[in-house]
Amino acid sequence: MSDGSEIFLLNLRVNGRAHRVPVSADDTLLDVLRRDLRFFSCRETCGLGLCGSCTVVVDGRAVSACLAPAFTQDGCEVRTAEGLEDTDDLHPVQQAFVDEQAFQCSFCTPGFLMSTVAMLEEDGPADVESALTGHLCRCGSYRQIMAAVGKVAGDGRDGTGE
Amino acid sequence: MIGQRQTLLDARDRVTGRIPYTINLEPPGTLHVAILRSTVPHARLVRVDASAASQLPGVAAVLTRDDFAGSSIRPLFGPVFRDQPIVAMDRVRYVGEPVAAVAATDLRAAEAALESIEVEYEELPAVFTPQDALAAGAPLLHESFDDRAPGYADIVLQGQGGNVCNKFQLRKGDGLAGFELADEIFEHEFSSPPVQHVSMEPHAAVASFEGDYLTVHTCTQTPYAVRDALAYMFRLPASHVRVVVPPVGGGFGGKTYAKVEPLAAVLSKMTHRPVKVHLTREEEFVTNRKHQAFIKLRTGMRRDGTIVAREVQALFNAGAYTDISPRLIKNGGYGAVGPYRISHVHIDSYAVFTNLPSAGAFRGYGVSQGSWAYESQMDMIAEAMGFDPIELRMRNLLLEGDTFATGETLHGIRFPEVLRDATTLFEAGRVPPPAEDDGSVKRGRGCAVIIKSTITPSTSAASVKLNSDGSLQVLTSTVDMGQGAHTALSQIAASALGVGVGSIGVVGPDTDVTPFDLTTSSSRSTAAMGAAVREAVFDVRRQLLDLAAQQMEVDVTDLELADGRISVVGDPASGRSIAEVVTASRRGTLAGNGSFVTEGGLHPETGQGIASEHWHQGAVAAEVDVDVATGKVTVRGLRASVYAGTVVNPINARMQIDGSVSFGISQALFEQLIHDEGHPANSSLSEYALAGLADLPEVFEVSLIEDPDNDEMHGLGETCLPPVMPAIANAVADAVGVRIRHLPLTAERVLDALEEQR
Repeated sequence: MSDGSEIFLLNLRVNGRAHRVPVSADDTLLDVLRRDLRFFSCRETCGLGLCGSCTVVVDGRAVSACLAPAFTQDGCEVRTAEGLEDTDDLHPVQQAFVDEQAFQCSFCTPGFLMSTVAMLEEDGPADVESALTGHLCRCGSYRQIMAAVGKVAGDGRDGTGE
Repeated sequence: MIGQRQTLLDARDRVTGRIPYTINLEPPGTLHVAILRSTVPHARLVRVDASAASQLPGVAAVLTRDDFAGSSIRPLFGPVFRDQPIVAMDRVRYVGEPVAAVAATDLRAAEAALESIEVEYEELPAVFTPQDALAAGAPLLHESFDDRAPGYADIVLQGQGGNVCNKFQLRKGDGLAGFELADEIFEHEFSSPPVQHVSMEPHAAVASFEGDYLTVHTCTQTPYAVRDALAYMFRLPASHVRVVVPPVGGGFGGKTYAKVEPLAAVLSKMTHRPVKVHLTREEEFVTNRKHQAFIKLRTGMRRDGTIVAREVQALFNAGAYTDISPRLIKNGGYGAVGPYRISHVHIDSYAVFTNLPSAGAFRGYGVSQGSWAYESQMDMIAEAMGFDPIELRMRNLLLEGDTFATGETLHGIRFPEVLRDATTLFEAGRVPPPAEDDGSVKRGRGCAVIIKSTITPSTSAASVKLNSDGSLQVLTSTVDMGQGAHTALSQIAASALGVGVGSIGVVGPDTDVTPFDLTTSSSRSTAAMGAAVREAVFDVRRQLLDLAAQQMEVDVTDLELADGRISVVGDPASGRSIAEVVTASRRGTLAGNGSFVTEGGLHPETGQGIASEHWHQGAVAAEVDVDVATGKVTVRGLRASVYAGTVVNPINARMQIDGSVSFGISQALFEQLIHDEGHPANSSLSEYALAGLADLPEVFEVSLIEDPDNDEMHGLGETCLPPVMPAIANAVADAVGVRIRHLPLTAERVLDALEEQR
């Protein structure tokens, strides 16, 4: 059993750039992204992989960074919300979230964005609700989130309520 | 501009994840904090020994009670009574109370050091419910109530003694004697459990002492209250304490008043380093919560359906420390009368100390607990007396010019319209019928309507700076915590100056820079701070027109300001831009100030006076399916209606209601903090159930009722939350005939009630 003090050199790419980070056995991908590399879009809310707010895309799949042991990420390609935009333009999913105002406090927003990106770009359009049902938005912006995601997924959903 | 859909000013930062929350801050040399918390609910603290822990690698300081011996730092804080220790002093009063705190170069070192702190407790008897805490011979949590914090003129302190933290009372008309006029009297008890805010962003603060100057970045909803608490604690002039509030990741009341800031500041004082406190989710669950409440409601009815008398006996579980309980039980007390015209009212509302974490402000602020009782009972009365529940409400709802239980005359009252609007949900065919047709799913309808005050007296102040390029900065201590306050204020400023929102910049809370504001809570910011901003813009606008009049050598009364240009009335060609006028004045910037101040207060014995400068009015109608085999309640349709006055930003206004409904469904069906002899049993999101996307109704309507004849803006952050719970319970009762008087309506509880009925 490791006591967590051993150090590994982790090689990973984040948003297209290479990083080498010393990590201990009990570090998570969330620790590496926030503490070491300062990708603050990755945020812990529950620490149990249940709320979705630390979701990033790892090798094309949506992953809860709070649960992913850092040392298992060696050689992985990680995408975070910071890496979605081009120099001038927001990613279509980001733009849809802005257009539909799909957030209030926005703490959960990057997690929703990354699950949506994984669903659309990697798995292809799927059942939006089942893809996002594991994400918590305590502000209750769900209808606008579904409208934004529906817009980019092309299912024509509208979140205008009344 | 006011009334137009406006994208949030910082929307881009929000979708790139670059928005700078407090938890991102880490100045060079920052120390990280781990907190040792009490493992027992009530004990004398015999010994705390941090000598071994303080020698461990990476540890810069370990704070225990011993550090306050001979120190000038005042170890207790609280917005009303300073009764809450930064770390436990003579005893601990709940499981999870901070006993010691380690500041270390990294969080792992701080956490590891906790294991080396030795604590010895001598356990004391503990109480967990207000009823037990009030029983004869109950162990006492506090011996004295002598350290009252100044301010908060609306809070009357009375009734202390035993475990009573505070009492509010109200007597209207003949009080209890009014029941003699009743043909029928209904008496029931209702309860609601403690629940947690579960802001996505936890409490966090970074404190930094430099000499005798303290700077704290924190996600508080009350920057000035935190500043004043810290100044008192460290015996500093308020001018030496600076509180800055970055964007906040959800508040819901849980971030009002000092919480983690004192601990961060003391450790920074000890170490001369920046110190960051960032709570875990588990710690969040013992840091603040909604008051558990037990409400006995007695209502006297005339045969014709008129309510003649109401008695409210409310017990609010304050937990171990006072926090803001005295105000909450006041608002919850008079709020429990409901939006009804009742001649004779008798209210006794108590906050009671128990050995549980302290309760404080929570979206709905005492009104959720009260309306859970009165709107549930309203349907019980309607059924017993043979009235339609909507018509029974209509018969008794407050109308324009009526007198509330506090004796104040009400204006701008729209209750019948709001309730009628909500219940349009029930029109034929709006909500599809149950999918299952085997008789296992029953459909029911229910509604509820509530009245809610806003904090009174209160003050908001704002400043604006008009720059030589014609752009305008708004300086405000209103906290942007997801409600879109800064965007709304920019719209209000833009409208007042007659320019586009793109010219407006908003400087958020920084007590060194932005003027006083009482609090970002109580659904007050759009109305109160909005009024202050508007006045500040009018101030600068007057100066601008005076300068233009001088420059143009005309009388100021001949000038008009429109679309960013100042011109002689009827001669647009004479115009010059705002930028030209400010530049030509050689003032650099023009500064304007505005404020919004309300007055009020209630008599300590009668509760008569002015409770609120404005009354929030909201109603909810719900259609639910109840599966009689499982007890599962599904909300199929819901319409929330609110008297919104003038809506500033329609999309954000509607989303505030969406959020309130989401909170309400969650509390109606799922949320409750559970304790086992004071030990938290569900302090994680795997055990604490919350409503999510799948729990929202498929027919979900929000109605913002505007008033074209009145430019008054109403805060919308809370009004539609309290009615959700009783509307759903009333719909369940309508569907299957069982009345559940204790929240939440879990499937298990509904099933038990159904079995009992059989």
